[in-house]
Amino acid sequence: MRPLRWLSTIPLRLGSLFRSSQADRELDDELRDHLALKAADYVANGVPPAEARRRARLDLQGVEQTKEQCRDARRVNWIEDFVHDLRFAARTLRKSPGFTTVAVLTLALGIGATTAIFTLIDAVMLKSLPVANPEQLYRLGDNNNCCVMSGTQNGGSFVLYSYPLYEHLRDHTPEFSELAAFSSYVSNLSIRRAGSAAESFKGEYVSGNYFAMFGLRAFAGRLLFPSDNLAGASCVAVLSYHTWQERFEHGPAIVGSTLDVNGFSCTIVGVAPEAFYGDTLRSDPPDFWLPIAVEVDNRLQNANLEWLYLFGRLKPGSSPERLQPQLTSELLAWLGSHMEVVPQRDWKDVPRQHIRLTHGGRGVEQMQRDYAAGLRLLITLAALLLLIACANIANLLLTRGSAMSCETAVRLALGAPRGRLIRQMLTESLLVATAGGAAGLYVAYAGTRAILLIAFRGANFVPIEARPSLLVLGSAGLLSVLTGIAFGIAPAWMASQSDPMDALRGTARSTPRRFSVLQRYLVIAQVGFSVVLLAGAGLVMQSLRNLEGQNFGFVSERRLIANIDLSLGGYTPDGLTGLFQRFQEKLPQIPGVVSASLSSYSPLSGNNWNQRVYIDGKPPDYHWTAPSCDRVSPHYFETIGTRLLQGRTIDERDTLGAPDVAVINETFARRFFANENPIGRRFGMDKNHPGEYEIVGIVEDAKYQDTRGPAYATFFLPLLQTPRAGRVNGWFNTVELHVAGIPENFESSVRNTVTGLDPNLVVVNVVTFGEQVARNFNQERLIARLTELFGALALVLACIGLYAVTAYRVAQRTGEIGIRMALGAGRASVLGLVSRDVLVQVGLGLAIGMPVALAAGRLLAHQLYGVKSSDPWILGAAALVLASFASLAASIPAWRAVRVDPMVALRHE
Amino acid sequence: MSKPSDLVQGTLDMLLLKILALQPMNGFAISQRLKQVSGDVLQVSDGSLYPALHKLEQEGWITAEWKTSEYGRRAKYYSLTRMGRRHLEKETNNWGRLSSAISRVIELEKV
Repeated sequence: MRPLRWLSTIPLRLGSLFRSSQADRELDDELRDHLALKAADYVANGVPPAEARRRARLDLQGVEQTKEQCRDARRVNWIEDFVHDLRFAARTLRKSPGFTTVAVLTLALGIGATTAIFTLIDAVMLKSLPVANPEQLYRLGDNNNCCVMSGTQNGGSFVLYSYPLYEHLRDHTPEFSELAAFSSYVSNLSIRRAGSAAESFKGEYVSGNYFAMFGLRAFAGRLLFPSDNLAGASCVAVLSYHTWQERFEHGPAIVGSTLDVNGFSCTIVGVAPEAFYGDTLRSDPPDFWLPIAVEVDNRLQNANLEWLYLFGRLKPGSSPERLQPQLTSELLAWLGSHMEVVPQRDWKDVPRQHIRLTHGGRGVEQMQRDYAAGLRLLITLAALLLLIACANIANLLLTRGSAMSCETAVRLALGAPRGRLIRQMLTESLLVATAGGAAGLYVAYAGTRAILLIAFRGANFVPIEARPSLLVLGSAGLLSVLTGIAFGIAPAWMASQSDPMDALRGTARSTPRRFSVLQRYLVIAQVGFSVVLLAGAGLVMQSLRNLEGQNFGFVSERRLIANIDLSLGGYTPDGLTGLFQRFQEKLPQIPGVVSASLSSYSPLSGNNWNQRVYIDGKPPDYHWTAPSCDRVSPHYFETIGTRLLQGRTIDERDTLGAPDVAVINETFARRFFANENPIGRRFGMDKNHPGEYEIVGIVEDAKYQDTRGPAYATFFLPLLQTPRAGRVNGWFNTVELHVAGIPENFESSVRNTVTGLDPNLVVVNVVTFGEQVARNFNQERLIARLTELFGALALVLACIGLYAVTAYRVAQRTGEIGIRMALGAGRASVLGLVSRDVLVQVGLGLAIGMPVALAAGRLLAHQLYGVKSSDPWILGAAALVLASFASLAASIPAWRAVRVDPMVALRHE
Repeated sequence: MSKPSDLVQGTLDMLLLKILALQPMNGFAISQRLKQVSGDVLQVSDGSLYPALHKLEQEGWITAEWKTSEYGRRAKYYSLTRMGRRHLEKETNNWGRLSSAISRVIELEKV
């Protein structure tokens, strides 16, 4: 019955806690009553009234002491004490606003930075797709190769599938309750609502059981059914909730309405659930999901085009380990009966083809892979910053503790138990930590939003919440409490150890040595950590500067890029010639346009087309990756600022009927025509017709895809000389303009010109060339900005720490300095006295920090571009910046020491 | 003077509970009664009495009530609770065992 009894007393205890003032009054009454009765008793026994009252009090052995014992007896003191401690701590903290502000801000920054990064890690790396039982989902494939392939796959691991192959796997694998397919890329859709111009949207083609596989239910209307994905079925589409809200003004009539999608009439059958952003966490996720059957060119039957990712929901009890080899044998069986889809040169690779089953709960882990290294780096930096912040807090608390050691001594002398003192000081640091943690959450929220803006520059919508999740909130709360305890306990314990006699006797002159020793270690650690962060910031900053400032092989200034969607059919190669000529006519007429061109894609836009070539007069060479290929109009190279090195560029001569020509870049020339003159040589895309294109010019290398590696071997074909049987879709998607003036100002005139030429054309976006290039460095920029920020914060914190310690030391030694000066010490020697301390701390910090910075730099090396991780200039600059700022911070109190008036100093005590 | 700490641990609690088991009374009356029944042998100082009472109250063994005393002033009257009665029974039994054991030891010494 023991625990029950304990439980039953809780209301009594809490009651006396909350009625504490009433209980105190009652206690007063009770004792007063007792004294009156006792005195009356004495009087009755013949004692005079005054003496009777005195004896009654004596019997009580001190009224106040008895009261205190009664309160003790109530045994709620730990709660009551805590409340008292809290009030007391709040009062003392209010009394020293400088300390409180610095401490809370420091912690807010440390915890805020860590929480912001952790929020991102949680959202990007840890969260599952918002679907039913994501742990049952498996993906058929272990990499993110995109987008369209044929035959065997890189490394033998299958990840892209044709629709017939998907059907084969779906029908032969009963272990999946559903096996769904969806396109590996998001497509641009041109959508016309009744009575308005075409707009650009993103769409994804999915199998009919896509939503069933995810176990989703429509927010409104219905989702897709397998019957929607049959050849000849009428076109239906599912709208994403976000798009419905943002671009369809969440009109309830949307379900059942009809839109014109890429020239076909499509019915919106439903709106997807609110949280669902698709199968891949990415910026600008699909606005529409459409059945694969809707895609043109009969993809349901096409076994040559491998373009689908496969996800399946495993039935409970099925083992993925057993399923994996089974899937591989299904794949090999299918390939064996469809050898015509594999080019003959790859037949030897067929037996190596296999399927890896990987966890699919987080969807296609594209962003997860892209950001893993960056986030790891950032969380490390944030943790480092938090450590520095903690060291700073501990330092401040120590300084405060030693400044208050006199007060502590008095309290000890008056009989305060040490445990109680420690508890009270801990309460204070916990209060600071909690306030810092709360402020940190705000910093984290704002920080995460800012980070998302930097990381996804150019995106309209990122399905990542800046709001910290419960997991993050809990971790941040725990973190702040832990910091509070960890960095409050040492100063509290030390302060409580002070000997009341010492402190009372010596007052301010006796410096408790252990304070200053620990403080110095802390400052040294801070300096060390800070120099690591500063050096890292310098390296990353320089790397980004090198990346952005490199010679790309084109000029991005005063250039504007407009991406256009031609997918709204209706153009035959001949019709395209007309459109193309009208473009060529109208664009240069826009006032301020220097030159204009068209192309399939522009540099660093995220596009890259590869095409295997066969050089006339040379044996086929499969050793190299297929060179890149782009289709361009006349004036293309001068518009984007790529120099012609030899021969001629593509010009007005190169029309549909004229001889087929090509321009190649330096790398192409070097790779296929080492020591030969490529001009006049021929190549082709078909082994049997290697003489299709004549090389007429060589241009300088320009980077189109990879910003860090060398330019790819590339050839350029005239826009109008497309393969005879090619599709119109994708012939040209991009307009480039070289303008005089600010490129942004030309956006509306470009849009007007395009819609003026054909209202069915969709301008997907207009962006300056500089911005398009800059978006390639989003992650690098994010890391650089954050590292710089963290470095700057670390520097500030280290300076605060150094300032606090030096100021405190100077204050402690004011008397000593006064005596020295009275005895004839000059200002220089006093300055030396103070600054020697500072120099030793900074020097030791640097001595520890620099090797760590070197080691840390080596971990960073693979992310750096054009700068060695041991770059002496950057490391030296980091050390110099730190040393000078630290000296600056310490010089303020040092000056105060120099200006000490000996008389004032001596009287000071 | 016999201090309460000299009393066997928990004995004071038991004595107070026993006295309150007979009738509710205020602190002063309790001290008088204690002196009276023990023939002045057990003197519990006023300074120890009140903390002890408050402790018992906190444990839930006794409960207090404000009443107007015979002198016309408000006084705090303590009375035994059901839980206190059970505790008293247990303590009394313990005490019986303890005292008889001690007595046996003392008699052994005499021989």
